[in-house]
Amino acid sequence: MSAEVILEVRDLAKSFGGVRAVDGISFSLKRNELMGVIGPNGSGKTTLVNLLSGFVKPDAGQVVYQGRGITGWAPYRIAEQGISRTFQMAKPFYQLPAFKNVVVPLISPRVKRLAGGAYGDRDAVAKDLLEEVGFERDSWVISKQASVLPHGYLKRLELARCLALRPDVLILDELFSGLSLAEVASLVPVIEKLMVQGKTIVMVEHRLKELFRIADRVIVLNFGQKIAEGEPEEVMVQDDVRKAYLGSEAED
Amino acid sequence: MLTGYLIYGLINSVVLVLVALGFNLTFGISGVANFAFGALYVTAGFLAWIGLNTLSLPYWVSAPLAVLITAVLAGLLYRVVVLRVRGLVVSEVIATFGVGLALLELFRFLGFIGFEYTLPDAGDFSLSLLGVLVDSQRLLIVAMGAALTAFLWLFTRYTTTGRAFRAIAQDEHTALTLGINTERTATIAVAFGAGYAAIAALVILPLGTIAVNEGYNVLVNALAVCIVGGLGSTLGVIVASFLIGTAQTLTAAYLGTHWMMIVSLVAILLILLVRPSGLFGSHKQLEERI
Repeated sequence: MSAEVILEVRDLAKSFGGVRAVDGISFSLKRNELMGVIGPNGSGKTTLVNLLSGFVKPDAGQVVYQGRGITGWAPYRIAEQGISRTFQMAKPFYQLPAFKNVVVPLISPRVKRLAGGAYGDRDAVAKDLLEEVGFERDSWVISKQASVLPHGYLKRLELARCLALRPDVLILDELFSGLSLAEVASLVPVIEKLMVQGKTIVMVEHRLKELFRIADRVIVLNFGQKIAEGEPEEVMVQDDVRKAYLGSEAED
Repeated sequence: MLTGYLIYGLINSVVLVLVALGFNLTFGISGVANFAFGALYVTAGFLAWIGLNTLSLPYWVSAPLAVLITAVLAGLLYRVVVLRVRGLVVSEVIATFGVGLALLELFRFLGFIGFEYTLPDAGDFSLSLLGVLVDSQRLLIVAMGAALTAFLWLFTRYTTTGRAFRAIAQDEHTALTLGINTERTATIAVAFGAGYAAIAALVILPLGTIAVNEGYNVLVNALAVCIVGGLGSTLGVIVASFLIGTAQTLTAAYLGTHWMMIVSLVAILLILLVRPSGLFGSHKQLEERI
C-alpha cells in the first residue's frame, strides 16, 4: 500500500497567555488513514483541531496539506481546500430545517468546482447525506428546524454538513461525546464506510473503546505535548499514557 | 384630525424603518453596531448636495454616486478600523462612534451649516388619503420603504451573498467551516447597511435641511428601533418602527415637537426593563451571556 502523506504537521505550537496549549506537536497523516487523538481534558486536543482548521493561528510550526503550506490560513480557505471539521458542541444554523443545513455547503465554491456545475437537486443530495449518517429519510426529523433537534441528531447533522463539502480530510472533534452507546454503535459503521470511500479522518475522542476499534493509529497528548504515538493496543500499555489518564481521573 | 395624525404617524414609521434597516442589517450579520451610522447618513446627504450644487451633476448621477461613495466609506471603515478591534464589542462601539463624531464635526468645521443645504424633492404633487393631503415626497418615502424592505427580503433569500449573510448571522464559525469568507461578507454587509442609510437620507432629507445634528438623531432613532424590535430581526424593525413612529407623531401632536426625541429614549429604557432581547430578539446569546 502506498503511503502518501496528505497532512504533515511540524512543531506546531500555540500559547494562550502563559499556558502552552499546544507545545511543539508533530505528526504526519497518510491518505485514507484514521488517526485518533486522545488525552486528558485540557491536554490541547481541541486547540490542535482549531489550529488545523484555521480557527486559531499558530505561534510556531507548519501545517502542510497535500504538499502545500497552509499554516495560518483563514478557516474558509482551509475548508475550500478540502479539510472539513465538526464542532464538539454542535453548531448548526439553528433557524434552518435540518436538511437545509446540509444544502448550505452544497452551494459552496468547492462543491460547485468538484461537481463541475452539475449537482442536481440540492435538497435531494442533502437528504441522501443525512440518510448516510443515520437520519430516517422519510421521517419528520429532517424537515424540523435544527434548534429543536435532539443532541444525537445534531451530532449527525454536524457530520453530514462536513461531508457535504466533499472533504479529503475530516476532523471530528469528539463526535461521540454525549451520545448513547446505541447511538455510537450506529455511527461506527458510518465512519467505517467513509474509510472505505477513501477519506482521511482525524478523530479527537474520549470514547476510547469505540475509537480503538476503528483507529489505525493514535497519538496521545498531555499538557500540549505528544507523549505517545502508535497503534491503539501498544499505546495504551505505555506507562506515561496510563499515568496521564489515571492522574487526571484521580484529580477529577 | 386623528386620521391625519395616524397617517402622518404611519409615514413617520416608514421613515424609521428606512433609517433602521441598514443599521439592523449590519448588526445582524457582522455583529458590528455601527455607531457611525448617523454620520454616514448625513455624509450621503452632503455628498449628494456637493454633486448637485458644487459639481453641477444631474440628480441621476449625483444621487447614486452619493450612495456608492457612502457604502465604500463604510466598507473602508470596517476594513481599516473595525477589523483591528473585531470581537471587542466596547472597542467597536467606541471606534465607530469616534469616526462618526469626527465625520460629523468635520462637516460642521467646514461650514456645512445653513438652510441652503437641501436636496430636491419629488415635486408639487399630492394625494388625498382619507381626506388627508399627503405630498409626493412622503409618498416616495413610503414607496421606498416598501421597496427596500422587499429588496432586502429577496436579496437574503435568492442571492449567494444574501444567503451567506444569513449563514453568518446564525453561526459565523460554522459558516467559516463551509468555506464562506466571513470577513469579506461582513465588509459587504457593513457597506450594504450604509448604502441603505444613504438611500434613506436621499428620500428623507428633502423634507428638511441637511444638518449635522440629524446624524445624532438618526443614530438614536435607529438604535431605539433596533433595541425595541430585537437586534438583528427585520420583522422587529418593522413592528418597532410602527410603534415608535406612531408614538412620536402623537406625542408631537398632543405634547409638542420638542418631546419627540424623548419617545425613542423612553422606548429603549422600557424595553430593556421588560424584555432586554427586544420584541423579536432571536439572540439567545443575550440571555446566555447574563
